[in-house]
Amino acid sequence: MMRDFRNIFISLFLLLAAAGAGAAEVRMTIEPRLISLMDRAVLKIEFVDVDGEAADIPEVDGLSVQYQGKSSQVSMVNFKTTRTTTHTYVVTPAKVGDFTIGPVTAKFKGGEKELNARLRVITPKDDQQAKEISELMYSKITTDRAAPYVHEPFELTLEVFIRDGVQIDGSFAILGGMPESGMDGELKWRHVDRRRREINGAIFNTHTLVASAKTLTAGSFAFQPQVQMSVVVPRQQRRPYGFDDPFFGDLFGRQETRPYVLECNQLIVEARPVPMAGRPDAFTGGVGVFDFDVEIGPTEVKAGEPITVRMRVAGDGNLSKITPPMIDASHAFKLYDARVVPTEEPNAVQFEQVIIPKSGSVSNIPEIAFAYFNTKTSDFRVIKQGPFPVTVEDAPRQTAQVIATVPSTIQQETQVLGRDIVYLKSAPKTWTKESDAPPLKTTWFRILLALPGLLLVIVAAATARRDLLAKNVALARRQQAPKATRKTVRRAERALRAGDAAAFNEALWDALAAYFGHRLNLAPGEVSLPVVLNRVPSEHDAIRALFDAVEQRRYGVQSGAGESKADMKALLRELTATLKKCERMKP
Amino acid sequence: MRKDEAVKIRLIILAAALTLGASARAQDATFANAQNAYDDGRYAEAVMLYDGLLADGVSNAEVHYNLANACFKDSDLPKAVWHYRKAWYLEPRDPDIRANLRFALNAAGAVEPAPGFVERVFSALSNAEWIYVAVAGYATLALLLTLAAPLKTARRFLLKLCLIPVAALAFSGAGWWHWRQLKLNPEWVVTRTEATALFGPVEGSTAHYKPPLGALTRQINTDPKGWVELEYDGKQGWLKTEDIKRVSP
Repeated sequence: MMRDFRNIFISLFLLLAAAGAGAAEVRMTIEPRLISLMDRAVLKIEFVDVDGEAADIPEVDGLSVQYQGKSSQVSMVNFKTTRTTTHTYVVTPAKVGDFTIGPVTAKFKGGEKELNARLRVITPKDDQQAKEISELMYSKITTDRAAPYVHEPFELTLEVFIRDGVQIDGSFAILGGMPESGMDGELKWRHVDRRRREINGAIFNTHTLVASAKTLTAGSFAFQPQVQMSVVVPRQQRRPYGFDDPFFGDLFGRQETRPYVLECNQLIVEARPVPMAGRPDAFTGGVGVFDFDVEIGPTEVKAGEPITVRMRVAGDGNLSKITPPMIDASHAFKLYDARVVPTEEPNAVQFEQVIIPKSGSVSNIPEIAFAYFNTKTSDFRVIKQGPFPVTVEDAPRQTAQVIATVPSTIQQETQVLGRDIVYLKSAPKTWTKESDAPPLKTTWFRILLALPGLLLVIVAAATARRDLLAKNVALARRQQAPKATRKTVRRAERALRAGDAAAFNEALWDALAAYFGHRLNLAPGEVSLPVVLNRVPSEHDAIRALFDAVEQRRYGVQSGAGESKADMKALLRELTATLKKCERMKP
Repeated sequence: MRKDEAVKIRLIILAAALTLGASARAQDATFANAQNAYDDGRYAEAVMLYDGLLADGVSNAEVHYNLANACFKDSDLPKAVWHYRKAWYLEPRDPDIRANLRFALNAAGAVEPAPGFVERVFSALSNAEWIYVAVAGYATLALLLTLAAPLKTARRFLLKLCLIPVAALAFSGAGWWHWRQLKLNPEWVVTRTEATALFGPVEGSTAHYKPPLGALTRQINTDPKGWVELEYDGKQGWLKTEDIKRVSP
């Protein structure tokens, strides 16, 4: 009877479990999907009949998503159990627009799923609060030049207006709204002014930021910076949209910060190209207003010696884009490429060029022209410097050993005496090939390399053993036992061969005494059968028989008399075998 | 039978020696011809002969140096800088190589690399030399420890003496690391006049700076699409690999 009940119960349980094990489902919902700028939505990721972790929501420009927590729910309908785990997020918009949240990777036991949700944020005409926000806080961008030339720097001014009384948390950030391409570097805004102003009878705190901009190409450039700031608002003023809002019912008057992107006008800047007409040959890309200076030195040289020409362009404009002015040198000169020399002046660029007069007929360095497009006057200007008088002597005709190596006891130093390279090197004594294995990689070298280490290991091991034996006398004697015994056994063999029974018996006893004396660390007179039997763990019978036989032969009446060589040999064999067994045993 | 084998081995050794000797003589002759061409002002021919030696697998610093000189005289500055640098990797303390490299870079209007003190110290020895120092340090350390083990009375002194090879080992390790870094982030020579370093590894990216032809730059980063980020004169920018040539130890 009991067994029947048990079977029914198990069957019922299995049926319920099978019914409960429905297909796992993961879904993401956002409610409501259409909200006002002043509202917020709740995003939920639900795991049905499966365990799932809170997902990382990717950043969405204009939305702030905050994780609120996890909740679980179990429901049973028609014997079918459904377990739902929900992760909740609050979505707060910072600007209007259509947004896609995702793809969000929801991970659960046994897999993962990518989910998306769409949200529309609008500013309804009748949403007074949203309207008020744009009247309370806004920004405005202006420029000093609406149509600058390419590369010409122009100033952008961004004013941020915040109504007095609006509390903001920290500072504000300019997130985007700039042209994506065609600008020379990123804009660096400088906070230049902060003041209180009266606008339409209301007091505003205004912040003025300034940035210098340059375009790399001609065309239209739209600027509409997105100024984002965090505004502190009392929590109870926020409008809950339903019971799902996790903050619904917060009556404690706590404050929270909400991000807002301020409304801003769009500024269109039309960058004009530098005209081609009237462009002088000496034009090297300068656009702006510049000064040009040239210095040369030395002015008295020998033919073949270098003269350095230093050119400095200073002013407002695209200094980093200017290439060095060209020197119209004739065949009388050898010209090296000009290079930019670092300068500490912020609005200047300096070039250095080496020019070498080839003969003494050179009397001056020709004039150097710098042409640029003047953005103030909208025309090309050419600034000329020079010609620069120089005195050039003809070089003496001799083989020029241009570089000398000064021997020194410490280090060889090379002195540059002239302007040419050091002469060729003589042939190497041995030719090395790329394919030749370096000596370090050869097998013999590797073997050789192992030797010092091996030697060290052997010596260290030997020294350690020596030190150990010096400290542990018992161990040292234990290790000497076989060697000491071998000596006396050889003596016994000699006595056996000579047929000297007395000497044989004496040698046998010495062998026993030597072996057990060393083996058991006993003094010479301490070796006796009882002591030995007391110390060795086994082979007692064999040892006793051996001791008895040897002692009988040494002290017996018939000692030394009538002993056959065969008996003596047998005894010696027995002694050797017994001692070998003793050698193997552990005391 | 054994006699025959011995004779065979002797013949093989003799043939190898003769081949090596003939090869060395041929290389000596080519080297001398290249030098004559250089002296006569036939720099292009000298370049060709030195190039031939390198193509044969020769890797002596002298060949790289002489080839660089010939390239310099033949107005091929990037190749000259490349071979001067290659020679410098093999013989970093050679004053002639350093002087000519500096001269070539100046002629190119390029800024010389300005290594820091530590880098200069570890560049004083070549990669192979640092390995020799390490081997010597290891052998000396092993010897001192071998002596210190049995000699109890001198042990303290010998162990103190071990600090010298330990220091040598530490230094050589750092030296090896320095050269390894140069292999991992090698130098590149600018080989095209119009090469312009960009702010990003994308065609059409904003131009950042224009390194002169023959400039020696150091790699910072690479991009799989054939761009290398290089540092030159304190500025960093991306150049295409077809505008530059890698030079590494």
